[in-house]
Amino acid sequence: MRKFDAHNHVWDDVHLQNADWTSVDNLIEAADVLGIEKLFCSRPITKGVMADIQAVRSANDSVLAAMKRQPERLFGYCFVQPGNGKAALDEIERCLAAGMVGVKLYNQFKYTDPAVFPIAERCIDRRIPILGHSGYLTDPTASAAQPNISNALEFCGLSSRYPELILILGHINGGGDWEWAIKALRECPNVYLDTSGSVQEDDTIGLCVRELGHQRILFATDLLMEGGVGKILAAELTGQQREDILWRNFQSVLDRRAA
Amino acid sequence: MIIDVNAHLGHYPFRRLRFTGASTMIEHMDSHGITAAVVTSLHSVFYRDAHRGNEELFHECRKFPGRLIPVATVNPTYAGWQRDLEQSVREWQTKAIGLFPSYHNYSLTDQHGQSVLRSAAEHNLPVVLTQRLEDRRQRHPWDQAEDISIEELSELAMAHPSVRFSLRNWSGLDGGQLLAAKLRGRCLIEFSRLQVLVSKDVPKLISTLGVDSIAFGSHMPFDYVGPSLVKLANLATLPAGDCEKIAWKNAAAFFQLDDVTGARPPQ
Repeated sequence: MRKFDAHNHVWDDVHLQNADWTSVDNLIEAADVLGIEKLFCSRPITKGVMADIQAVRSANDSVLAAMKRQPERLFGYCFVQPGNGKAALDEIERCLAAGMVGVKLYNQFKYTDPAVFPIAERCIDRRIPILGHSGYLTDPTASAAQPNISNALEFCGLSSRYPELILILGHINGGGDWEWAIKALRECPNVYLDTSGSVQEDDTIGLCVRELGHQRILFATDLLMEGGVGKILAAELTGQQREDILWRNFQSVLDRRAA
Repeated sequence: MIIDVNAHLGHYPFRRLRFTGASTMIEHMDSHGITAAVVTSLHSVFYRDAHRGNEELFHECRKFPGRLIPVATVNPTYAGWQRDLEQSVREWQTKAIGLFPSYHNYSLTDQHGQSVLRSAAEHNLPVVLTQRLEDRRQRHPWDQAEDISIEELSELAMAHPSVRFSLRNWSGLDGGQLLAAKLRGRCLIEFSRLQVLVSKDVPKLISTLGVDSIAFGSHMPFDYVGPSLVKLANLATLPAGDCEKIAWKNAAAFFQLDDVTGARPPQ
């Protein structure tokens, strides 16, 4: 069965001369073993940093370099920070022209912040998805470390403002109360979610399907590749549901651009 | 054959679990090809008197001999815990001692922790240490527990050189640090939170500590079993004997499970 990993990463400076490609090669090796045909990758700037646009471009250049090395396997999301203003919009255009297929937002701004709106409008114009870092963090320490992380209700807020936006809530199992997130997403039918994250808790996928319907669910691993595949294989799904989640739903997202 | 060394029975107060009783757990194991599981009681973690949870656990597991291997949990801050431990050893033949220090409000390195570790050594029983039950980022407001650290584990291991440790649901294990704590040959690490591919945690631990240190574990019923089955399949490139060790032989040797080899494999 085909598999498209809707949420993965390139983390190293592979765009620089004499780069160490080990991490990218390990990614491809794992994808081969697990039968993952395509991986959709980004390189966000993390740890609460609001970087200048040069650093953002450099991060995206590493993804573009990896795409060039593995053109049949690796595809890119363009990471941008809404606070970079017009430069962020220009960066989206640069990345799309170089072959990327979507935009990645991290935790620099909450998705209900007006700074995000021009990014959303550009993605609507270009018919490309936004993959957003997400979490409903109930632990005070974790929450304090990411004050601007967006939770599922904030995804719903952006989706309500822009119903035509293709918005993906990243890593439902990436840490935080995933049951809360699923319940919140019931009210916003235009938001997809991806199944990735280091948490592998039983019945996550089943609850997603029961509450949201399987066509909003996108298979992903966020580098936890064995866990990501294992939980989809272990979930109680019909063959059709499993296949849709593993690749067909995301293919339909990508097809919107061509349409 | 597969022995899962990281399993629990009972309810968890902060989230619904689907397989809480012995019968439903056995059905769950059968559906995933798991022959036997080493289980602790979640009720022992949350009852004031952990031993009441042990009574339930041993009673439940008796219905499935050779399939569910119960491990008694000890709360060394509770009155009479030594006598309760004696019952677990003499009457019920517990194969190990489970400790949940953060939930029972003591430290493995304080007088309570030291005392129970000495008892483990006297009884020649391994100690089961679960680094955490669930990800802290989703904690319930009443869940104040913290993860056990590798530094704490290293200190313990050095202070109690004859005690063996079953490490459940750990990540971030550094083989060099475990080696320095002289844990080679006396720890059994299950891989539910470790990776075979990408970061290659499991191959690195095998190269540092030896294949005898690794076992199959899933953290059921908290987690899906599927991820650990995928990892086991991804270890198929190891010599066949090594795969079998990880799947069940290491667990059988570590916990001295004479009866499990005769258990009926799941259909």
